[in-house]
Amino acid sequence: MRIALAASVVALAPASAFAVDYLSAEQAARLMFPDADRFESRDIDLDAAQLQALAAQGVQPRSAHWAVRIAQRGGTPLGFVVVDEVIGKFELITYAVGIGVDGAVKQVEVLSYRESHGHEIRLPAWRKQFIGKTSTSPLKVGEDIANISGATLSCTHVTDGVKRIVAVVAFARRHGGLG
Amino acid sequence: MSAHWTRRARPLLGTLVEVGARGGDVEIAISAGFDVITEVQSRVSRFEPDSDVGRFHALSADASLSVDAHTAAVLAAAKELHDASDGAFDVTLGSGPGHWRCDGTRLHKLHDAVQLDLGGIAKGYAVDRAVLAMRRAGCASGWVNAGGDVRVFGEAALPLSLRDEHAGGVRPFATLADGAFATSHFDRRTRSQAVGIDGSQPVRAHVSVAAPECLWADALTKLIALSGDTADPLLARYNAQAWLH
Repeated sequence: MRIALAASVVALAPASAFAVDYLSAEQAARLMFPDADRFESRDIDLDAAQLQALAAQGVQPRSAHWAVRIAQRGGTPLGFVVVDEVIGKFELITYAVGIGVDGAVKQVEVLSYRESHGHEIRLPAWRKQFIGKTSTSPLKVGEDIANISGATLSCTHVTDGVKRIVAVVAFARRHGGLG
Repeated sequence: MSAHWTRRARPLLGTLVEVGARGGDVEIAISAGFDVITEVQSRVSRFEPDSDVGRFHALSADASLSVDAHTAAVLAAAKELHDASDGAFDVTLGSGPGHWRCDGTRLHKLHDAVQLDLGGIAKGYAVDRAVLAMRRAGCASGWVNAGGDVRVFGEAALPLSLRDEHAGGVRPFATLADGAFATSHFDRRTRSQAVGIDGSQPVRAHVSVAAPECLWADALTKLIALSGDTADPLLARYNAQAWLH
């Protein structure tokens, strides 16, 4: 074991922002469905009645619009990939959910992670600076490779988001929204 | 250097688990690492009724069950640390430290009221096993970070930053190679909880521990939070160092 403390005194070092890009949405889709020969983009637009029907199932869809990638091989669907983002106390997490044709979650991959100083994470301007950033155009914020240690980050909001996406995809399939 | 590392992150163990890898078939190694973490989670989570811990809770007194080798390994480490700390480390959280026993992979429940919570040690164990799986899959260097419980192996030297739990933001703390590091933050509002056997409360601070293995780094943060002593003799036993900050 080798550990070298940072030169600066911890308590006096300025807090900085932190960002990591892991995968683009396309890379995640290919990773989850390596056998796919095509990914078809499909939009789900839920109307008010459909939003209500989902809410009646105990799912708060949060958005009426969802973009779904349908993984296909030889024209046969293999599954679905949906990208979403959630905001925690200090972090913005973009993630992709892969769902098999059986409706079960196949894989969840984090696409990017943004750690903020706190308050600005809820400001649209702060979040907007990351739009369009993917792993092919990584941001240079602080040490690119650095890892965070701290009290355990709860990913409850990610797991809640995954459940929401599973419900939305199942609903859309039942109602013919995904072909 | 960063361009050579392949990094992936998934929500597991109730937190974000990040894996970095270089050398060998990194995709296979990363999958192997995540697979082991998923497996450990399914065995030791107290939130899953089908896990070994969930099944233990459903047992009546004087019954026993066969548990997975992962569960048995975590319980053996918990027992060792319980004895080494004169009972301060207690995976029953006071519900009956003497009321369970694990012989090999057979786990005995000795009292109806006893409950197990392996949250203070299983995350570090899962990280260690993931590192082992990655190395076995041919990965030369990398790291596994389960929400702050980190282990680094091979040629990787990982800069560690600490999150400020009050104000947000991260601060550079250290560079870690060939070892493990864990941080817990104890506060009335945070998820990490610890209570001394005499009912004493942990220090209100971030507690970080570096050790060769992540299981011990993870578990020792809880004990150091209770003793408040970064010169605690238990640290030397596990070749560990601790910081309060």
